[in-house]
Parts: sequence; structure tokens; C-alpha cells
Amino acid sequence: MADQLLDQVRDAMEGQIDFEGQRLAELLTNVILGAVGIFAFFIGFMAQDITLTLYIGLAGTLVTFLAVVPPWPFYNKNPEGWLPAHVAQAGIGGIDVDGLKVG
Amino acid sequence: MHSTLVRIQNAFGFFTTVAFSVAAVIALSTFIHPQVPKATVGLRNVQVVRGRPHYYSYKKEEYAHIKFDLDTDLSTLFNWNTKQVFLYLKAVYPSTKTGEPDSEAIIWDAILPGAAAPWHQNHYIHPTPKGIKKPKNSKNSQAKSHMPAGIIKLDNQRPKYQITDISAKLQNRTDVRLELGWNVQPWVGALLWENWNDYGMWKGLQGGKSELFDFPVIGAKSAKKEKLDEEKGKEGHRLMAGQEQPRKNN
Repeated sequence: MADQLLDQVRDAMEGQIDFEGQRLAELLTNVILGAVGIFAFFIGFMAQDITLTLYIGLAGTLVTFLAVVPPWPFYNKNPEGWLPAHVAQAGIGGIDVDGLKVG
Repeated sequence: MHSTLVRIQNAFGFFTTVAFSVAAVIALSTFIHPQVPKATVGLRNVQVVRGRPHYYSYKKEEYAHIKFDLDTDLSTLFNWNTKQVFLYLKAVYPSTKTGEPDSEAIIWDAILPGAAAPWHQNHYIHPTPKGIKKPKNSKNSQAKSHMPAGIIKLDNQRPKYQITDISAKLQNRTDVRLELGWNVQPWVGALLWENWNDYGMWKGLQGGKSELFDFPVIGAKSAKKEKLDEEKGKEGHRLMAGQEQPRKNN
């Protein structure tokens, strides 16, 4: 029981996502943070208020972290179809190296 | 980006890049904000007195007590990236030896806060002009200047600091002038001092220097009737029969 529980906790902490999800997460990080930076500068410049720039920038960064860091379900929509587990037959079948059977 | 920790590191790494870039653009954006600083500095009265640097000192030094008029329009120094401007007025006089640089001593200064700067007790509060009434409610301890940022009109202003020379002698020095200086401290970017040349949209300081004058001899009759023959050091006011009552420092 304890092991299962620990596994669940570890999975939640690691928050692994699939390959497509990783690409999406990276894209989102760059796009949101970049847009927030530009937006924060222009709003602050228009209002001539540098604290506005600071707070828009920090809020946007928080939004980015919320969007990217947790393993949201849409980051796991393309799970990798791993090969079925090989039934191990000790000593037989062997390993194929460059067309030669080894082992 | 496969695990939470890696995503945190990546996002934070790019955040630092964005933050630095925005800060750099903010620092550069001040260059398109036009600056046309103007200032008029005039001497009102100058006296040289003998005093000592502190109560226990046996050394006598000569101190110059310079009253001045100051009329500035530095409002264009305040843009969205200005945290505060440290404004100072200095007396500049040539050295006794040729080839050595002029001596400079600050006689008055003020910290002028920008719009976004939080209140601080050391911020300069401009004396209320005669036409404007002071607000009645004295409960508001966070007093603010009645003048717009960078506008200063001082008449017959007493100096904040009495200056002396490293030689401890000041009387009969010639070709003294008062000169305005400042240090613009931005929220992000470089510190900038006063400049006398034009750079793009930034004009150099117009005026800002007084006429040349001389430090008089000690005890010279001044226009005012004030008795300043002997400047008291830090000993404060002493009680003397028939003289003014001591001022209480609350």
C-alpha cells in the first residue's frame, strides 16, 4: 500500500508529459512570456507608469507558470505507443546485432 | 520539458531573459523623452565667518555662508523611469595654485521624488508659495510638495551647508560661482548627471550658473543686519544676558 501511495505521489511530483506535450509546453512558454513582456512595456509606456509594467510582467509570468508547469491533460494527448512487452525467454531468441544473432 | 522541475527551470530561465530585455528597452525608452532643463541661479548674500568644526576643536576655520536665489524648471527630467533626482547647488572657485582643478563644495541639496516613488521623509518639500494656503488638516503626515516635480522657486534661500576649504581659509578668494548639478536616478538604467551639451532630444542645461563673485573678508558689512561674525559650531545656542532666547528643538 505504502509503495503504491509513494508511486502516486512521485508521479504527481514528476508530472511527466508526452513528446507532443513537451513541444507544446516549450512553445507556450516562449509565446506567452514574450507577449507578456511586450504587452507590459507598451501598457506601462502609454500610462507612463513603470509599476504597471512591473505588475503586468509579474502577473503574466505567474500565468505562464500555471499554464506550463502542471501536467495538464492536454499535454498527454499523444501517448507514445510503446512496443508490447517482450516475453523473456532466457537464452533463446537472443539479441540481434547487425543481422547476427548474439547470445 | 518532460517533468515538472525541468519545466519550472525552462520557464524561469526564459522569464529572466524577458525581464532583462524589457528592462533594457525601458532604459533606452527614456532617450525619446525630450529634456529641456532650465535654471537660474543668483547670489543673494555671502559672508565669511570664523568658526570651529565642532565644540572640542581648537582649530579655527573660515566658513562661507551663501544665500542664493534658485529658479528651476527640471520637470522634463521626470519621465516614467525616473525614481528620484538628487539636486545640488555647489560653490565652485579656482584653486590657489595654477594647474590644479577648481574646488567644489555643495551648499544646498534636495531629493526630488519621481511620480512612482513611495513617500519618504527625506524627500524635498518645497516651501509653500505665498498665494497658496496650507492644508488645514495637519494629521496628514505624508506631506507633499505643492509645486510640480522639478519646479523650484527659492528666494533668499539659506544654505543647508556652510562650506570651508581644505586650507581652512576662504576670505578674499575670487571668481567664485554657484553652479547647479543633479543626479538622475532611474528605476532601471544608468545614473545620469547634469549635462551642458545637446544629445539628440536631450538639451543641455540652460543657465544653471551664477555670476562670478568674491568671498569677502571676515566681518565685512553685509546687506542684512544678521550677526554672523562668530559662527557657532555644534554647541548650539548659549544663553547670554540680553540676547535672544535659545531655540528649542522639538
